[in-house]
Amino acid sequence: MENIYLPHLATITDVYEETPDVKSFRLVFQDEKLRDSFEFKTGQFALYSAFGLGESTFCIASSPTRRGYVQFTFRRVGRVTGGLFDLSIGDTMGFRGPYGNWFPLDEWKGKNVVFVAGGIGLPPVRSVIWNCLDRREDFGDITIVYGARRVADLVYKNELEHWGDRKDVNLVQTVDPGGQTPDWKGKVGFVPAVLEETAPSAKNTVAVVCGPPIMIKFTLQALEKLGFSTDDVYTTLENKMKCGVGKCGRCNVGDVYVCKEGPVYTATEIKRMYNDF
Amino acid sequence: MTDKLLKRENLDKLIGSVTVGGGVFVAPGMEARRVVFREVTRADEMTHDYIIPVNSYKDWVFPQTEVIARFAIKKDGVDLKGEKIEPPETVVFGARPCEAASLASLRSVFTWDFIDEFYTRREDRLTVLTVACTAADDECFCTTVELSPESTVGSDVYLKETADGDYLASAITDKGTAFMEKYSTLFEGASAEAKPKELFIPEKIDGIDLDRIKKWLDNKDHYDDPLWAELSRKCFGCGACTFSCPTCHCFDITDEGTTYEGEKRKNWDACQFEHFTLHASGHNPRDAQFKRWRNRFMCKFNIYPKKFTSTGCVGCGRCIRVCPVRHDITEVMEAISGR
Repeated sequence: MENIYLPHLATITDVYEETPDVKSFRLVFQDEKLRDSFEFKTGQFALYSAFGLGESTFCIASSPTRRGYVQFTFRRVGRVTGGLFDLSIGDTMGFRGPYGNWFPLDEWKGKNVVFVAGGIGLPPVRSVIWNCLDRREDFGDITIVYGARRVADLVYKNELEHWGDRKDVNLVQTVDPGGQTPDWKGKVGFVPAVLEETAPSAKNTVAVVCGPPIMIKFTLQALEKLGFSTDDVYTTLENKMKCGVGKCGRCNVGDVYVCKEGPVYTATEIKRMYNDF
Repeated sequence: MTDKLLKRENLDKLIGSVTVGGGVFVAPGMEARRVVFREVTRADEMTHDYIIPVNSYKDWVFPQTEVIARFAIKKDGVDLKGEKIEPPETVVFGARPCEAASLASLRSVFTWDFIDEFYTRREDRLTVLTVACTAADDECFCTTVELSPESTVGSDVYLKETADGDYLASAITDKGTAFMEKYSTLFEGASAEAKPKELFIPEKIDGIDLDRIKKWLDNKDHYDDPLWAELSRKCFGCGACTFSCPTCHCFDITDEGTTYEGEKRKNWDACQFEHFTLHASGHNPRDAQFKRWRNRFMCKFNIYPKKFTSTGCVGCGRCIRVCPVRHDITEVMEAISGR
């Protein structure tokens, strides 16, 4: 009997402490065949389980170009994420996926890409960033605008340093006013304002946006001001999900099932949705 | 298809024949002075005097709670086993034609791309014996949603009561034909004297137009209409409508058990509950009761017809009967039809 709700078992092979309450896990499937055959596309999500506590939904934060493992990042907020937070290297957890649609990277060939992320919104975007960087010759200029409330809330600090060092990436980091530390070398200001100031050209460019709802709202306005068409602006919706496969009934926005028709949408598609956010 | 006669005195034998081999026979019976669908083993546990049972028989295809996997946390890892189900032959006797139409709706959700075999395996083993209505109450509105006591959609065997309390049976589906053949000794040739009682066809609610409702809902601007808050003000989100509804399919997946072993379960859930869409961040897309009520209405009259080309409401009236604040879905249907 095929059981669509049965997770794969995976071993945690690396734990990265991103912030005091955010961790990333690297997972390797215990089934060796699956380890070799597993494929996904950038932007897809999965359900991760801490056995005994339940499942939570997160985007896969690693790039499909890096095979053999998947990585995800989460903040400790509730029962499941609290349970996950307590797991360590060598522990077993559950993984169900990949589900949903993805960012159409092949359609973006030859274009510039602007990434705009806030706080814990960077993990879904990280998968797209690394996917683009691993196929660097396919894309034009790559700009990353990333901000968080405070310096301590920035995730992937090592990678930010790496992206900042790269000549083929324009990384702009910012923290909200008051969130800076004495040695902070980045910008101080809200992400949408810093994006406007960075002013990436909208010509032949796509934008990928992810962050808290308020940041997304003002970032979309900023992109419009910069001349971006809503068709070229992509985001990923993070609604509550339990099944991930279009049955449990809670992720819909009006008539749109985020788990099946999303989570990746253009700003044009978002504008067409019902006011059910 | 010629009608056969199932005598009431033979119901006991029919139940016995189904249950002796491990089958399950579900029929309306009295429980705490109310008529409910429940498993019976003898005909005298059944009742024949009812409009429609309080609960839906969806419980036998989509149980309130069911195990989907079992796990044990060991020193060196986790033992995880997916649950395998082999449902018994299940017979529902005394379904009403409205509710019979709901199985196609549930099936469309549970087989949309990903196939939930916990549902399909049960439904494949389920035979629905519908008894057409000879009475209705004020809450019945099947004819308003394009069904009627004469509808046979979803029924495997369609039965009409005779004045003597027997049943004239006709097979509607292959499953129904197979059922009547399997228990052929109990389905006799019907004599010309066996006349069915007259069916009671409830009056269609004049002001309701399903097509207009769907079209009005198609316009996303109408999601912000003050009508939603006005019409669902009295709802306090108990969720009784969803649990009694034959097409409501929402569920939760939870881990239950002790620290070291337990099971993953699929449990009924309801879009009427505040926690249903609550994000871990504290954000809730449906943070007011009217938004949750709006979602349920949208699901029935726009999402189901549009996405699953099936009906989201069969007019059984259960949600109206169980509602503690007498919130009537037909009032909302009427108000929107008038827009």
